[in-house]
Amino acid sequence: MKRKMSPVTRVITLLASLTMVAVLFLPIWRIELSAPQYPEGLVLKIYANAIGGDVDVVNGLNHYIGMRTLHTRDFVEFIVLPYIIGGFAAIGLLIALVNRRGLFYGWVLLILLIAVTSMIDFYRWEYNYGHNLDESAPIRVPGMAYQPPLIGYKQLLNFGAYSVPASGGWIFAGVGLLLVITGIVEWKRQGRRDVISSRTVMAILLPGILFITSCTGGGPQPIRYGQDNCDFCKMGIADKRFGAEILTNKGKAYKFDDFHCLLAFLDSKVLATKEIADVYLIDFSVDRQWVRADEAHLLKSESLHSPMNGNIAAFKNTDSMNKYAIELRGTPVTWKELYK
Amino acid sequence: MRMLNQCGLLSLCIIMTCGVPACKPRNAGAAVTGDAAQRTYVAPGKYDEFYNFVSGGFNGQVSVYGLPSGRMLKLIPVFSVFPENGYGYSEETKPMLNTSHGFVPWDDQHHLELSQTNGQPDGRWLFANANNTPRVARIDLRTFRTTEILELPNSGGNHSSPFTTENTEYIVAGTRFSVPMGDNQDVPLSSYKKNFHGTVSFISIDSSSGQMKIAFQLMLPGIDFDLSHAGKGPSHDWFFFSCYNTEQAHTLLEVNASQRDKDFIMAVNWKKAEEYMRQGKGVKKSVSYVHNLYDEKNHTATSTVEKEVWVLDPKELKDMVYFIPCPKSPHGCDVDPSGEFIVGSGKLAALIPVFSYTKMLKAIADKQFEGDYEGIPVIKYAAALQGEVQKPGLGPLHTEFDGKGNAYTSMFVSSEIVKWSLKDLKVLDRAPTYYSVGHLCIPGGDSKNPYGKYLIAYNKITKDRYLPTGPELAQSAQLYDISGDKMQLILDYPTIGEPHYAQALPADMISKRSTKFFKIEENAHPYVSKGEKEAKVIREGNKVHVYITAIRSHFVPDNIEGVRLGDEVFFHVTNLEQDWDIPHGFAVKGATNAEILIMPGETCTLKWVPGEAGVYPMYCTDFCSALHQEMQGYVRVSPAGSSIPLTFSTNKAEPDSTLAK
Repeated sequence: MKRKMSPVTRVITLLASLTMVAVLFLPIWRIELSAPQYPEGLVLKIYANAIGGDVDVVNGLNHYIGMRTLHTRDFVEFIVLPYIIGGFAAIGLLIALVNRRGLFYGWVLLILLIAVTSMIDFYRWEYNYGHNLDESAPIRVPGMAYQPPLIGYKQLLNFGAYSVPASGGWIFAGVGLLLVITGIVEWKRQGRRDVISSRTVMAILLPGILFITSCTGGGPQPIRYGQDNCDFCKMGIADKRFGAEILTNKGKAYKFDDFHCLLAFLDSKVLATKEIADVYLIDFSVDRQWVRADEAHLLKSESLHSPMNGNIAAFKNTDSMNKYAIELRGTPVTWKELYK
Repeated sequence: MRMLNQCGLLSLCIIMTCGVPACKPRNAGAAVTGDAAQRTYVAPGKYDEFYNFVSGGFNGQVSVYGLPSGRMLKLIPVFSVFPENGYGYSEETKPMLNTSHGFVPWDDQHHLELSQTNGQPDGRWLFANANNTPRVARIDLRTFRTTEILELPNSGGNHSSPFTTENTEYIVAGTRFSVPMGDNQDVPLSSYKKNFHGTVSFISIDSSSGQMKIAFQLMLPGIDFDLSHAGKGPSHDWFFFSCYNTEQAHTLLEVNASQRDKDFIMAVNWKKAEEYMRQGKGVKKSVSYVHNLYDEKNHTATSTVEKEVWVLDPKELKDMVYFIPCPKSPHGCDVDPSGEFIVGSGKLAALIPVFSYTKMLKAIADKQFEGDYEGIPVIKYAAALQGEVQKPGLGPLHTEFDGKGNAYTSMFVSSEIVKWSLKDLKVLDRAPTYYSVGHLCIPGGDSKNPYGKYLIAYNKITKDRYLPTGPELAQSAQLYDISGDKMQLILDYPTIGEPHYAQALPADMISKRSTKFFKIEENAHPYVSKGEKEAKVIREGNKVHVYITAIRSHFVPDNIEGVRLGDEVFFHVTNLEQDWDIPHGFAVKGATNAEILIMPGETCTLKWVPGEAGVYPMYCTDFCSALHQEMQGYVRVSPAGSSIPLTFSTNKAEPDSTLAK
């Protein structure tokens, strides 16, 4: 009897499973785009199995900034997601039928896990689409990325992007919430841990955890040598041995051709210190490799002849620095000494 | 349990209402000031303060509005036929649309420029460009008629035109499309860099008659010339042009002409060019282009083929042409009222560079060049730069000036007008436009002394501004009051065609000189009838010339017989009225061209070739009087070879007709 679910939980499980079926047919998420010349607004609707709404219109605009066009077939998610959601509904029905509390807990946790995973996956796609831009695009705004927000509002050039759950997403969220509450109530009713069901829970959770850990996040944006301009001296960034970038909390990147420009920009207080997330420097010895300024080993030498005579080279590891220190007769300095 | 379920639902509701972290801002909407209606209302019978001449784009016409009411006053056909009044259909106006390609009944009319004296609009002529088949037209502002059209040789599309020097010494015409020139023009498109060239033509204007003549052309690299404006005051001797496609792409320019970080503003010392012409440094090139001129005395246009043009090559002739780097495919090229600042607007740039004429001269004197582009020196960007307007908006296109130290730049992408100070290049104000503004117009806004009271935004996208009219919508315009610190939207109105650049000037500079009618005694038309007694019908082989008069409310003659199939009938209609606003119209059944409108004192000819035997009604189309509906007549057409004599009459009850010779 203890391993069985309460009748209320069973009914809720049954109803939740059936409701989940509706999510297969309703849009889960929507990204509304508004611009002055689109008073009627544009919308992208994300379904379990497809991307809908004004996809063609949005794709027509994307080429100006070099963003890839959106196609349902490019997303493996649209093949997998209907099965996952359908599977959940089926498993839910099965659990209601076999009436095992442990399985119910596992099911609830897995739904939460999948919800979180999906959001992370969604973010990853938004990031990739917003950042991986064609370098020959007509409009290239230095440091500008076009990643829509996961949830909420963000201005992307002339477009305001507003990302919110759509009906399917709300249903999913509602079902999740309801199941969590039911789960907690069930847990409290049970009064003590059930070892066997925990094990079942883990068995169901494990694949999900593995899925999550495979995802990646953001970081400094690459300098496009020959195209990007220094945000301080406005000159083109050309010398690949030098370069610096300030990444703000909002994800905006300021690029510089020389240590001198980086420091001068920091001194100018265009950005408040609290707005700055990270400062990166180009590794002198490795092609286009970033190193965090506070972790970098810096070398000062007049014989570096850097673009704006900052004459500071950055290295990720001490060995390379020492090698160049002898070669260039430079003196090691630290970030803290230079940037106060 | 029920309690808990309710709690769950409640929390769900809370999440739904508060869970979204950032709320979507609403669109600005139409923020109209309270007394806008009062400020734009021109009471019945009252006149507007300004004439506003607006280019018609693909309709090839110029529309005339009154400001601040936004009331449309007139549509002037320039490069397009106009069946409404017979322009391009009447025998007199057909030659106006003649080109080296034959009769071209249409064009894409982009920019307008009023003639200037001492750097200010003088209300004499209005110049208009044709972007497609390269031409420049001159409109006489006494009659609001197109009186001259000059074709441009060595050009693939005339966009950076028809901008004027301060005393209308020259009107310029720069090629949007570079093309191969000379004898062999049948070259592969891939040989663009080798074979294609651009030109800029300097058209001299006769100061009394306004007549146009190509004084000289500059042979230039194969790039696209976009817009231009002349220097003023200290920079009087110079002309500035924006250039894009310095990549010299001939395909997918959208991408391929957007690769270079900087294109150019081209500075031309036209005084120097004049000097080279005087020294005989020009090269005469054999070309073929057409010059059409309308004579107001005989109300007739003639078309002349010109065979040569003088060309100056800046590669050989130094100190005449310079390039200044300008970011990202500059579009607008505007010179401030003082003549010191040149504003280049890179369509894709995130800033607006402002160049200094003084610094440019110094850079040239100090030889501060970063190199050359196809033999033309390129001045260092920083050396000519006064400064940059930072974060102006997205997609800067065109700049106009208010004469009070401010500049107004249109922002296509962010759909707004940005006001900034010429003194410190700081943004002062922004106003949304509906939607995606192209050109701007301030009365006298590109002259030495702008009348900085109103600003009109000509938008490219209309969408929901007016009642829907199917897929094709009128282009919208918005009028702003710019007399205060903040721009205030006071009127929104639809326009004709697709307005690009526009011009405006105080109304009395034109209204006082407006022609009311033509004096009949000065009418030198070869087929005029100066009175009903002179009306007649004459056969010349198969050509039948009908000298016909119109006066309220009858034609003389109004009964014509003896026209035979195979005849070409020419109705030479003379309007005998000598009073203001009494035009007559003339139409005949089955005419395959148009009707004609004849102004008082004017003679106008409609050619008519009847297709079958029978009786054809003819009548006056312009409601001229209470008995307008009675102003009608008949032409009888008999089969070919018929022996019916050619007769004509008005009010002859019996068939007692005068025999024609």
